[in-house]
Amino acid sequence: MAIIECKSVCKNFGQKVALDHVSLEIPEGRIFGLLGPNGAGKTTLIRIINRITIPTGGEVWFKGRPITQDDVARIGYMPEERGLYRKMKVGDQAMYLARLKGMTSAEATRELKSWFVRFGIQDWWDKKVEELSKGMAQKLQFITTVVHKPSLMILDEPFSGFDPVNAELIRQEILRLKDEGATIILSTHNMESVEELCDDIALINKARLVITGGVNEIRRQYGNNNVELVWTDASGRHTEVLPRETDGASTLRTFLEKDGVQINSYKELMPRMNDIFIKLVTEGEE
Amino acid sequence: MNWKTTGIVISREYLNKVKKKSFIWTTLLVPILVAGLTIGIMVAMMNTKEKTKTIAVVDESGIVLPYLTDTETIHYQPLSGIPLDSVKTNLASYGFDGVLAVGPLDSLEKTVPADLYSPKPFGMDLVDNINGRINRAVEDYRIASYNIEGLDQILKDVKANVRLRSFTVSDSGEEKISEAGVYSILSMILGIFLFMFITLFGGMVMSSVIEEKSSRVVEVLVSSVKATELMFGKIIGIALVALTQFLLWIVLSVAIISVAGALIGFDSLMGSNPTEMVSTMGGMDAEQIEAMTAQLSNDSELGTVVSTLASVPWLQLIGLFLVYFVFGYLLYASMFAAIGSAVENEGDTQQLQLPLTIPLLLAYMIALYAFKAPDSSIAFWGSIIPFTSPIVMISRLPFGVPTWEILLSIALLIATFVLMAWVSAKIYKVGILMFGKKSTWKDLWKWIKQD
Repeated sequence: MAIIECKSVCKNFGQKVALDHVSLEIPEGRIFGLLGPNGAGKTTLIRIINRITIPTGGEVWFKGRPITQDDVARIGYMPEERGLYRKMKVGDQAMYLARLKGMTSAEATRELKSWFVRFGIQDWWDKKVEELSKGMAQKLQFITTVVHKPSLMILDEPFSGFDPVNAELIRQEILRLKDEGATIILSTHNMESVEELCDDIALINKARLVITGGVNEIRRQYGNNNVELVWTDASGRHTEVLPRETDGASTLRTFLEKDGVQINSYKELMPRMNDIFIKLVTEGEE
Repeated sequence: MNWKTTGIVISREYLNKVKKKSFIWTTLLVPILVAGLTIGIMVAMMNTKEKTKTIAVVDESGIVLPYLTDTETIHYQPLSGIPLDSVKTNLASYGFDGVLAVGPLDSLEKTVPADLYSPKPFGMDLVDNINGRINRAVEDYRIASYNIEGLDQILKDVKANVRLRSFTVSDSGEEKISEAGVYSILSMILGIFLFMFITLFGGMVMSSVIEEKSSRVVEVLVSSVKATELMFGKIIGIALVALTQFLLWIVLSVAIISVAGALIGFDSLMGSNPTEMVSTMGGMDAEQIEAMTAQLSNDSELGTVVSTLASVPWLQLIGLFLVYFVFGYLLYASMFAAIGSAVENEGDTQQLQLPLTIPLLLAYMIALYAFKAPDSSIAFWGSIIPFTSPIVMISRLPFGVPTWEILLSIALLIATFVLMAWVSAKIYKVGILMFGKKSTWKDLWKWIKQD
């Protein structure tokens, strides 16, 4: 079932159209990627789901009924523009945000301490936020977003500002949260992490929904249905691109039956998300 | 309103401010400063007398010298056998601070020429003193020249010495001796403090709103807290900070003044003249008050001050101060919050803040005027109209204000606060999420009209 359903959502800022009848479903328990170039309307859509911005038209439904403030209060939301109180101590700050999300002091302390240990930042508890580097503040922001175990998380550009090591740490945490049953909406420009993490995506360009669906289906849809076969024989290593299904399988069988031939790999050739993204966005330009 | 989340917001705001070093310092330093200043002024006023100056006198008229009797600060020494010119140039070596040369009597004009020479200019007091004495000598000489019989007796009889004592009469006919100076000081202190508190803590609300907006924390917060809860949580949290500080200031000031008073000597402190202090501060006609208090203080001045202070209804005054502070603060703080929400940094507040600063300054000025004419129509209206009423009313209170006026002004103040809080909440809700554009009053008006 869809945890979030956008029904023909529109938003105008004066004359400017920020979202034009966007309808999409976000399935529960999966990672949903919200893609699009800068200024396409992703952040506006996220703000509408969070009820920070009131839509000009259309509705957002949560688990089969119109979304309420109480539903929103439980969402874990990490905005693109990160925000923390600079003059507050890291621990106090995390406690404050956790308690606003409805945790008791005891719960919040216990959960936060264990997150701090997992992220290797237990020494920061009494530091001031302004003493933290950008990456450190990002980690803290991530923890405060997910500490209350929300069933839905909205992460706007979660990897920006992280070095590769920490980006990987966050990636693993996101996958772990999904395994625990959470739904995660991810807005990102990082197409590699879309391929790696997302089950479904929606691409928004110039206020309109361009495409939505499962990542694999979309990649297949934009691919040319080829498979790649790599084999080794006496003369060396060979790579051959073959059309799938039609005679691909029979080609493989003939190779298998040959003597002295070793199959190294046989895989479906799918286009990179990056290429699909560029293709769809530039097509929109024309 | 969800009181649980509002409570969390309040406690963060409160603890965050109270734990700051600047809060601890101002809480400790202000009473020390105020007490130090008060004691300093009093001690200074007790010790304004200059050290004794020795003035050499050459009197060629023969009428002035008898009038030049020594005072605490001036010692006159008739000069004989030394030429004036050599004294003039060698004052220091003769041990004189100055030399007064009175020329021969001009019998036609009935006056004397008089010159005062000194290496350093003398203070006003000393010059006035000498001048007054010479004038008296000449006046007496002139009167004597009329040859009126029994003149001494006549002059003695004519000399008036009326003592004006003022009493406040309560409805029950009870009379209390009162001292205008004590009330004036009280009135001014109350007015200034209320103005300071409202400006200080209202401004604190504004910076706190701006901090949340410019650091973008607000976007995370509004998903779990309603904007109105956030705004009122902040306003209430800072109100509690103010009350804490207020309480600590009273306790510390009382402690410091009583300790210092015991050390310096309470009597000598109380002996100084409060009206004098007011006249220097308020720029009143100093001579007038001087004349009045000179007579009042003939008998026990300390008694008058103490009995005046004792007759002040302290509990009522402090109670009303708190009421006017709380509602005056709430009124202004909610408006400051609205303005804070419309800007992204402190620098942009100037233009939007003006409509708040003007009534505050106006109130401050009326309040300073109130002690001269506490029942004038400007003071009356100033204490009824809600935007100025807290500051003006509190400075009128020491002089006694009819109960209906107090009730009316409190009722109007509360009603205005409710209205402004509602308007401010509307502005705040939109403002805190409006980024990247400098807002004007026109925008704010648009946000108010939005549903």
